[in-house]
Amino acid sequence: MARLFPQIICGFFGVVLFVLYFLKAPSAKSLYLTITSDYWQIIFAFALLVGVASFIRVNIKKLSKLSESPYVITGLLGLFAMPVMALLWGIKGDSPFMWVFENVQVPLQATVFALLAFFVASASLRGFKARSLPATILLVSALIALLSRSDIFGWFGNSALEFSEWVRSYPSMSARRGILIGIGLGSVTTSLRVILGIERTWLGKDR
Amino acid sequence: MNSRQSRHLAFAGLFIVVTVTMLLNISIVATVSNETKQMFDYLDGLPERSNIIVSFDHEASSLPEMKPLGLVILRHLFAKDHNLIGVALLAEGTGVGYRLMQETAKEYNKEYGRDYVFLGFKPQFIAAILSMGESIGGTFPEDYLGNTTSEIELLSDIHNYDDVAAVVSLADGSLTTHWIEYGNEKYGVQVSAAVAASMLTTYDPYISSGQLKAMVGGLRGAAEYENLLGIGGSGARSMLAQSSAHLYIILLIIIGNVTYFRSRKKG
Repeated sequence: MARLFPQIICGFFGVVLFVLYFLKAPSAKSLYLTITSDYWQIIFAFALLVGVASFIRVNIKKLSKLSESPYVITGLLGLFAMPVMALLWGIKGDSPFMWVFENVQVPLQATVFALLAFFVASASLRGFKARSLPATILLVSALIALLSRSDIFGWFGNSALEFSEWVRSYPSMSARRGILIGIGLGSVTTSLRVILGIERTWLGKDR
Repeated sequence: MNSRQSRHLAFAGLFIVVTVTMLLNISIVATVSNETKQMFDYLDGLPERSNIIVSFDHEASSLPEMKPLGLVILRHLFAKDHNLIGVALLAEGTGVGYRLMQETAKEYNKEYGRDYVFLGFKPQFIAAILSMGESIGGTFPEDYLGNTTSEIELLSDIHNYDDVAAVVSLADGSLTTHWIEYGNEKYGVQVSAAVAASMLTTYDPYISSGQLKAMVGGLRGAAEYENLLGIGGSGARSMLAQSSAHLYIILLIIIGNVTYFRSRKKG
C-alpha cells in the first residue's frame, strides 16, 4: 500500500495535468489555474519545510566537530536571522533584510562565482593542450571565441566576431540541437515511465 | 618552478590584470554585433506604450554581468514609454529586480502603478508561467509592495498574455527556455532575452527557429547595447577588465602549450 498509493496519485495527476494542458473549456482552464497556482505552491511550501528541517538536522549533527562549528553556526544564524528580519521589518526597499541581501549575500555569491575565473586560469595553463588534431581544433576555436568577446580599442576588428558567429551558427548549433532533441525525447520517455508506474526509483531505494 | 608555484603565479596574474584594468576606469565602445542590433531593433520596433513583462530570472551570483544588461534593457523600454510589468521567477531576482526598476524609473520620471509595476516572486517557475497565461491577477493577487493587483491602474486592462506585447527574460540560466516552451508555445506570447554570455549558445537554436525573437548576451552585449542607446554604463566600463582577462587567459594557454611541446621534445 505504501508503494501503490503514491504511484496512483502520481499517475492520476500526471494524466489529469496532461489532458488539462490541451483543453480550452473555461472549467478546465479554471481547474488548471487552481492546480498550477495554488496546489503547486502548497506542495512547494512543504518541500521547503522538509529542506529547512534537513538542513538544521545535518548541521546540528556537525556542531560537535570543532573544526566545522564556525561554519555551521554561521549557516544556522543566517537561516534563522533572515526570516526573523523579514517578519519584523519586511523585505522591501531599505529594510534590514534587503541590506543583508545586498551587502552580504550578493557579494558572497558573486565572490564564489568569480572564483571560477581562477580555476579557468589554472586550467588554461595546465590542461588546455593541443595533444591531438581534435584538441587543436577545439583550442583554436576557443581562442577565437575568447577574442570575439573581447574588444580592446578595435584591435581584433570584425574577423574574430564573424568567425565566432560562424562557429556558433553551424558546428555549435547542430550539436546543441542534437542535445535538445535528446533531452526532449528523454523527458517524454521518463515522464511516461513515471506516470505508468514503470519507473519507481523516486519512491526510494527500498521500493 | 613546480606546478603549485605556477598555479599561484597564474592566480596572482589574473588578480593584478583585473584589478588594474578596473581601476583605470576606461570605457570601451564595443563594435555592435548583429545579435545585439537585432535585439535593439526588435524592442525599438514595438508600438509605443506596449505592455511588456520584464522577468528577472537570475541569481545574485551573476549580478555583475546581469545588472548592466538589465539596466540597458530597462532604460530602452522606459525611454520608449512602454508599460512595464516586473516579475521574478527566482527568489534572488526579486530584490534585485525591484531595485533596478525603481532606480531606472526615477531616471525617466515614471510613476509606480501607472507606468510600471513590480509583482515580485512566484515559486515554481513553470507553474507561474502557465498560471500567468490564464490570469496575471490570479497568479499575483498582490504586487511586491502589498497592493491589491486588481486596484493597480496599469493592470486594469492587462489580464493575461493576450494583453502583453512581449516578455523580456533576464536570465543567467535556462529559465528563458521555460518562457519559450510554455509562454510562447502554449500562449503565443513573444519572448526575447538578455542572458549571461555562458548561455548564448544554449539559446541559438531558439533564435534560429524564431521561437526566441531576439537575444543580447554578456557584458559585451550590454556594452554594445549602451553604444546603440548612445549612453555610457557599467557594461562599457567593465569591458576593459573582461577583455584583458580574456587576453591573459589566451596568454596562459599559449605558455602552457609552449611548455608542453618543449617538454615533449626533450622526451
